[in-house]
Amino acid sequence: MNAADPIIQIQNINKYFGSFKALDDVSLDVTVGEKVVVLGPSGSGKSTLLRAINKLETISSGSIIVDGHDLYDPAEDINRIRMELGMVFQSFNLFRHKTVLENLTLAPIKLKKMSKEEADQLALRLLDKVGIRDRAEHYPLQLSGGQQQRVAIARALAMEPKIMLFDEPTSALDPEMIGEVLEVMVTLAHEGMTMVVVTHEMGFAREVADQVVFMDEGAIVEMAAPDIFFDNPKYDRTKLFLEQIL
Amino acid sequence: MSDLEKKIDIGDGAAIPDPKDRGLFSAWWIALIGTISLLVFLPMFKPDPYGKVLLFIPDGILITFEVTILSISLALVIGLVTGLGRISTNRFFNLTASLYVEVVRGIPLLVQLFYIYFALGRFVLVPDLVAAVIAMSFCYGAYMGEVFRAGIKSIDFGQTEASLSLGFNQRQTMTYVILPQAWRTILPPVGNEFIALLKDTSLVSILAVSDILRRGREYASESFNYFETYTMIALVYLLITLILSKLISNMEHRLSYYERR
Ligand SMILES: Nc1ncnc2c1ncn2[C@@H]1O[C@H](COP(=O)(O)OP(=O)(O)O)[C@@H](O)[C@H]1O
Ligand SMILES: [Mg+2]
Repeated sequence: MNAADPIIQIQNINKYFGSFKALDDVSLDVTVGEKVVVLGPSGSGKSTLLRAINKLETISSGSIIVDGHDLYDPAEDINRIRMELGMVFQSFNLFRHKTVLENLTLAPIKLKKMSKEEADQLALRLLDKVGIRDRAEHYPLQLSGGQQQRVAIARALAMEPKIMLFDEPTSALDPEMIGEVLEVMVTLAHEGMTMVVVTHEMGFAREVADQVVFMDEGAIVEMAAPDIFFDNPKYDRTKLFLEQIL
Repeated sequence: MSDLEKKIDIGDGAAIPDPKDRGLFSAWWIALIGTISLLVFLPMFKPDPYGKVLLFIPDGILITFEVTILSISLALVIGLVTGLGRISTNRFFNLTASLYVEVVRGIPLLVQLFYIYFALGRFVLVPDLVAAVIAMSFCYGAYMGEVFRAGIKSIDFGQTEASLSLGFNQRQTMTYVILPQAWRTILPPVGNEFIALLKDTSLVSILAVSDILRRGREYASESFNYFETYTMIALVYLLITLILSKLISNMEHRLSYYERR
């Protein structure tokens, strides 16, 4: 792969659920270190697009290449590719039977054959980073939503992925907890992580995004840098959406 | 969905006591104390035949436990495989598992027992106890399969997605993430099945297996004390299932450690 090539190349993908078209000829490139924020009304296909990137959703046609690996090449091992892609879900999805620390160390120990000591150290460092080290021995259900989501981010980071995917990471949180999660994400962005973020947090989009993508009815309607996107949107559908949400 | 709704409600075993229900006068305690009292006082006041029956059946208790524990162990293995088959996307595996469940469900246990016992006996010579265990576990394996299937399905799909997104494959996801959690949901119905199986082992007394009931029948047919014999037999079964249901409910309580704040 050429160093200048995008790390994510999405070309003309379509996705059908039965006869319903959830993704309509979507193409998107993401370069190394780039932050892409995806906006759009509910049901517009944002999650489907994001989940297509790590093949949690299989597409009906088109191609997706991540870090040089074609997701639909039978010779590729999807599990290896997924190790490069951290994912954070709206509903956290922490492993409920594992402590916070074990949530972080499970994958590195089992998949990277890391020693327990090494994994513990890595995990504690990451928990420090997301400000939750003192809860290492707690179980997820003993934590607040904001804390759980920060642990979920740390868990994804523990695999040292090249790309982080976020699917509405703050949508399930009480308002007073949104800040603490966004703060972690902003830090991550400033460290140079490649990120694709589905969110309704316009402040975050403005501050962090290199590109803002607006989706509607499964298609990308508009894509622009945040200042242009928010201050000078081209299409009526974008304007309408921004009026409603701002 | 609340955890209460998630609990699987299969099984005709003894009612497993609610762990929160710890009052001295709960039904469980009353039943236990009543049972023990009768088991102690009846032989005390009328050693013949109550005491004699009690002395006659301990071998049977051992056999009953032996059949139960061997059968439940085998049934758990069969159940896990069947449950995985029932949720598998592999057509063949799925169909085989479903067929097995359908067939077993549709035939009364006693008929299955006879069938397997005599079918086996026609081709291979196996000890009666082995035949009984094979028949019981074949039947209960199908029930267990449904318990495992429901238990696995009760785990939020988000857990699977989180695991896959980290790079775990399907099998690793099942082993490290789903089954350890499903176990907690599975345990109460498995406990119920365990108790139901223990009670159903009384059916093997019809084959030549000397379990509790068969020992009782032997005693009764010699002494003609049918009423007294079956009173004691019923009390012994009741004592065993009461103790087991309490043990299981305690275990269930401990397994829910990560849900407690
Ligand atoms: N597994 C599925 N089966 C059927 N329809 C689905 C499935 N997942 C998503 N959809 C549909 O696809 C559309 C896009 O969904 P989604 O990508 O989740 O939208 P968004 O994340 O933008 O709210 C919605 O109309 C949704 O109902
Ligand atoms: Mg969504």
